[in-house]
Amino acid sequence: MIKTNRILSFSQAIKEAQTQAMKIDPKVFIFGLGVDKTAHIFSTTKNLKQKFGKKRIFDTPASEQALTMFAAGAANAGMRPILIHQRLDFMVYTFDQLVNWIALWSFKSAGKSKMPLVIRAVVGRGWGQGPQHAKCLHSMFAHVPGLKIVMPSSPSEAKGLLLSSIFSNDPVIFIEYRSLYNSKEFVPQKPYFLDIDTPNLRIKGKDFTVVSIGAGVLTSLRASKILEKNNISFDLFDCRSANSFKMAKIFNSLKKTKRLLVVEDGWSKISFSSEVISRVVESGIKLKSPPSRIAWPNSHIPMSTKLEKNFYFSENEIVNKIKNQFINTL
Amino acid sequence: MQKSKLLKIYKNFLKIRLCQEKIIDKYHPEDKMKCPMHLCIGQELMPSVLGYYLKKNDSIFSHHRSHGYFLANKGSMKEMISEFYGKETGTNGGLAGSQELSCTKTNFYSGTILSGAFAMAVGDAFAKISKKQNNISVAVIGDGGMEEGITFEAINLAHLMKLPVLFVCENNMYSTHTNIKERSRTSLVSDRVKGFRIKTILVKNQNLYKLDHILNKTINNMRKNKEPVFLEILTYRFNGHVGPEGDDHFNYRPKKEINYWKHRDPLVKLEKLINSQKIIKEIKNDIIKEITSSFNFAEKSKLAKKWEQFNFNNGYSKAVKSFYKKRIFFSSKQEDHKPSSGKPY
Repeated sequence: MIKTNRILSFSQAIKEAQTQAMKIDPKVFIFGLGVDKTAHIFSTTKNLKQKFGKKRIFDTPASEQALTMFAAGAANAGMRPILIHQRLDFMVYTFDQLVNWIALWSFKSAGKSKMPLVIRAVVGRGWGQGPQHAKCLHSMFAHVPGLKIVMPSSPSEAKGLLLSSIFSNDPVIFIEYRSLYNSKEFVPQKPYFLDIDTPNLRIKGKDFTVVSIGAGVLTSLRASKILEKNNISFDLFDCRSANSFKMAKIFNSLKKTKRLLVVEDGWSKISFSSEVISRVVESGIKLKSPPSRIAWPNSHIPMSTKLEKNFYFSENEIVNKIKNQFINTL
Repeated sequence: MQKSKLLKIYKNFLKIRLCQEKIIDKYHPEDKMKCPMHLCIGQELMPSVLGYYLKKNDSIFSHHRSHGYFLANKGSMKEMISEFYGKETGTNGGLAGSQELSCTKTNFYSGTILSGAFAMAVGDAFAKISKKQNNISVAVIGDGGMEEGITFEAINLAHLMKLPVLFVCENNMYSTHTNIKERSRTSLVSDRVKGFRIKTILVKNQNLYKLDHILNKTINNMRKNKEPVFLEILTYRFNGHVGPEGDDHFNYRPKKEINYWKHRDPLVKLEKLINSQKIIKEIKNDIIKEITSSFNFAEKSKLAKKWEQFNFNNGYSKAVKSFYKKRIFFSSKQEDHKPSSGKPY
C-alpha cells in the first residue's frame, strides 16, 4: 500500500521535478527571464540558485528568439536545457525557431541528431490576463511534426511528466495552466517518470468517456463529483500530450460507454478536441449520441476578471452537457 | 607564410572551387540533384583559412551558402554529394539536400531560414564551457541574415555570458538580388555591431595575409579568454544566388563591380604564392580524383527510403529506466486550485 499523505501543490511538484533532474544529471540547466528572482515563476524555481549556482540557473535578457536557439544549440551539444516563459504568449516570438529549426532537427539529420530540450510556458488564465497573456496555443504547436506538447493536469502528473520531458530526447513544450498552481495532491518523493504518449485513466466510470488535457481535467473531476449525485459516472482520460497521445485506451473505453465528450481549455476550432473527435469518427466505433466537446469560444479573451468568468467554461457546462445528452438519448 | 600552411589553405580553397564547378557542370544536363543549391564560388577564402585553424570538437553553424564550410571543416565530400542526390548515404540520409546540410561527426550544422544557426552557436558555446572543453563555436552568416533581429539578440547574449563564439559575417553586398544600399544606410555590418562593445574586425578585399593573421591571433585568444568576436569579411559571389545558372543577365550588379572582384580572385594570388606548376598540378589531380569518386559514389547509392520515423527520436536518457504506473491509486483525490494572491504573477 502506498502512503498517500505527502501532499504537494502543483508548483511544489514542478520545483521538486526540476531539483531532482538537476541532481540526477549535471547537464540539466534552467534559464529565462526572471527565473531566479521575485516571484520565481510561481515559486517553481525558488532556492534553486542557492542549491545549484548561477551556472545552472540564470536570468536572461528578453530575447526569446535567441534564447530558444540557445536552448537548441546547447541541446544539440548534449545538454538538457529548460527554458521558461512566464507567459506562453511570448513564445509566439519564437515560432521560426520552433517550426523551422527545433521541430525538424531530428528529421533532417535522419535521426543522427537529437534535440532534448524543454520549454516551460505558463497560460495566464485567471486574474484578468486578457488577450496577450492568457492564450493557450497548444493546438497550434501540436500541428507541427517533431514537437511534443505536454500539458500536466495535477501535481503528481506534473512531476512525473516534467521529469520525463527533461529526459526525453525530443523537444517538449511543457504547458502549465496558472489555474492549477495551487491545486494539491499526493506526490511520491522519489523521482519517477510518466509515459508522455499514453493517456492516463484518471477516474473510472460506466456511462461516458470524457477526454481532456491540462486544466480541463481538474474541471472534469469537479463535474464528476456533481454527477455522482445523479448516479452518472464517466471514464476520464488525461491525454498528457496534445499531439503524441495514443488512442487505444480511449477506443476501448468508447466501446463500453459509446458516448464521448472532449473537454479542452483552448479555442475549439481546429484544435486538440477536433483531433480527438476526428480520430474517434475515423475509427468507426458506433456511438449512441454524436461526439461533443466543451472548449473556449473562438474569440480573444477579454481582460477583466469579471468578464473572464463569462468567457471560460466551468464544471457546470460539463455537467449540463453530459446530463442533456444522456437524457436525449435515453 | 609557412609553405605547409599555404598548401593546406590552397587545398581547402581549390577543393571548394572545383567541387562547385563540377556541380554547375552536372546539375542541368543530368537534372538528378533537384534541390535548391547556394554555391559559394568567389567566397572560398574565409572557409579555407578558417578550416586551417579549427580543431576537433570546434563547431560551425553556417548560413545556407555552406558547402565551403562543410568541406573545409573536414566534411566528407562523397557524403555531401550523395546528400544533394537525395541518397541514403548522404550526410543527412538524403533528407536535407544542400540547404540544411549537417554532419554530427564534424560538428557542422547549417540551415536556410535565415539566421537561426547564428544564434544556435551561442548555446553550443555554452555547452562547451559547461563541459569544460577548450573549444570554440563559429557562427557564419551573410549580410542579409544580419537583418534579422535574432542576430543582435545572439551577439548580446554571447557577450553578456562571455562565450567563445566567433561570429563571421560574409558581406557580399547582396541579399538575393537586393544591394545592401537599398537595405540600410550602414553598409558595414560591423559598424552596427560595435554598440555591444564586442570586439569587431573588418577584413576588406579578400586579403589572405590579413585574414590569416587575424584568425590565428583571434582564435588562439578566444580559446584562452572565452570572449566572442565579430568578424566581417567583404567578399563577392561569382556565381548566381541560387542554382547553377548565372543570374547576371538580370543586371542587378554593375559590370564594373563584378570585374573589380573577379580581378581580386584569391585563387590567383594563392597560385602565385605557391609558384610551382608541378605542385599545383599534383594537388589539382588529387582533388579531381576525389570529386569524380564522390559523384560516382552518389550515383551508385540508393535513394532515401525512410523519413517519417525520424520526426521524433522517441528515446529517453538512461536516467529513465521505467515508467511509473501506479498513478491510478491516488488519482481522484486532487484538491482544487485556490487563487492565492492579488498579484498578476
